[in-house]
Amino acid sequence: MFPIYKKELQSFFYTPFAYAMAMLFMLLFSLSFSTGIAKLDTTNTWAFSFTEMFYSVILYFIFLLPILTMRTFADERKNGTEVLLMTSPVSTAKIVIAKFLANITVYLFMLAGTIIFPIITAMKGEVVVSQLICAYIGIFCWGAMYIALGMLISSFTESPIIAAIIGEVIMFALLFVDDIANTAFISQFPKLRSVIYAFAAQPRFAYFSEGFIRLSDLVFFASAIIVLLIWTYISIEKRRWNRG
Amino acid sequence: MITIENLTKYYGSNRAVNHISFTINDNEILGFLGPNGAGKSTTMNMIAGYLPMSDGKVTIYGADVTKEPMKAKRNIGYLPEIPPVYPDMKVREYLSFCAGLKKVPVTKRKSEIERVMKLLKIKDVEGKLIRNLSKGYKQRVGFAQALLGDPKFLILDEPTVGLDPNQVAEVRALIKSLKKDHSVIFSSHILSEVSAVCDRVIIINKGDVRAMDTIENLEKSFTTSLTLHIKIKGSKGKAASIIEMTKGVKEITSIDAEGDEVFSFTVQLEGDSDSVRDAVMAECLKNGISIIEIYTDRPNLESVFIELINRPAKKSGLQELLDETPDESGESGEDESDGGDETEKEEE
Repeated sequence: MFPIYKKELQSFFYTPFAYAMAMLFMLLFSLSFSTGIAKLDTTNTWAFSFTEMFYSVILYFIFLLPILTMRTFADERKNGTEVLLMTSPVSTAKIVIAKFLANITVYLFMLAGTIIFPIITAMKGEVVVSQLICAYIGIFCWGAMYIALGMLISSFTESPIIAAIIGEVIMFALLFVDDIANTAFISQFPKLRSVIYAFAAQPRFAYFSEGFIRLSDLVFFASAIIVLLIWTYISIEKRRWNRG
Repeated sequence: MITIENLTKYYGSNRAVNHISFTINDNEILGFLGPNGAGKSTTMNMIAGYLPMSDGKVTIYGADVTKEPMKAKRNIGYLPEIPPVYPDMKVREYLSFCAGLKKVPVTKRKSEIERVMKLLKIKDVEGKLIRNLSKGYKQRVGFAQALLGDPKFLILDEPTVGLDPNQVAEVRALIKSLKKDHSVIFSSHILSEVSAVCDRVIIINKGDVRAMDTIENLEKSFTTSLTLHIKIKGSKGKAASIIEMTKGVKEITSIDAEGDEVFSFTVQLEGDSDSVRDAVMAECLKNGISIIEIYTDRPNLESVFIELINRPAKKSGLQELLDETPDESGESGEDESDGGDETEKEEE
């Protein structure tokens, strides 16, 4: 398992890939940071908060994460290296986990870059550290879930580009699950509404960004990740059975 | 020892491999020969545990590939048709990754990588990105990967494709030298390659085993009759009658005109070639026909191969034989309808 993890990390960090991703992420973050500062005036200091910044950043990173995960399995299949992994004494489950952990590591690297903004703010003003930590935990959970989703989509196809595009569409659509639940039509059926609403990640993230760590939210993200990874495993195994 | 029993693969309703059974003994090189699309790669993928089989069993040194994949795969070195290399990695980096993947102990990794790089002569490119290597080098890096960890059983799917003649000879010599402490199954569609390297061959086509034997036996059993080629100057009819009258000549299979009064005959012989050849020669000269060229040869392995591939497959299962042979009433009915068809055609 460890060799695969290491190889994945090498493919991210020995190439400009991870750095370009982190740079882009920081750039997007800085956009909302500077507009936030620009809006500041003496009467309205409370409006500037990292919580709000994270909200806008989420919209950006649904476009970044599929690019991170698109190559995970699609590239292996394209290069014919899937055969190598599958015929070596490593189980498919371990391959999936190793690749997930590698993607998570790059994601943490991307997140780490953004810590510079709270630091700058702390130098000139004050940062509510507890809330910031909660927001980071929330954004990490959400990102990890999307990475698992991106890997699943990557296991469906041989083309990384198609994996990225499909991933972006699905992740974008998932942002609106809570809006769908709140439409007038769905609201007519309170039970249906509550079921759909339970799948919405955005309100759960809202709790984190407000400084709550709720067990139910952690369980939600953890179970979503586990289900998606198992699905990825099944998808790879199924492809082998169906080939041709 | 590696045992393959009843290996079968369906792609949907399309049967790619049909009940193949064979064994590979220790220290044996088994050639796997067949035209493109014969099911060679599918079979090898199944033996290596990459593709699940539709039916059958593969046992590698006592471990079933499907039931104990981890144990079985430790003994396998596999070079697929397309070398499984990462274009973004350097050669040494790649080999070190593969060594880890194959669970080569950390302490031995370095010496192991050096060993395979030396065997495949890729030491000079160890620091290069694989994407910049030529096809031949990529192929050799893929081969090196298969040898890492010194697995007892090597599966090589067309290992010499894309190599230059010099490298082909080197790789062949390498495969031969591996025989000492490995079992090798090695596929190719080039006959001369298989006959140069392998102890035994399996010839398959369309998923069926057409023949399985040593090269010598195959040659012996399919090349009993000899062919005489003779080119003469003189009368065609006279020469033909003389040749046909000679004892030991079976038949004249072809006569080609090659210019003014020059004809070449291809003659099937029975019995010892030398005496028949001499007799034909003597008769011709006695009758005033001048001989420009005369020689005998055996049908070579190439034609054996072609014959085997085009021969209809043997039925393997009892059920198939039963299906093939209808019971009496059905048979007579079929005969009648056949007869009817024929008469209709005649009438037309």
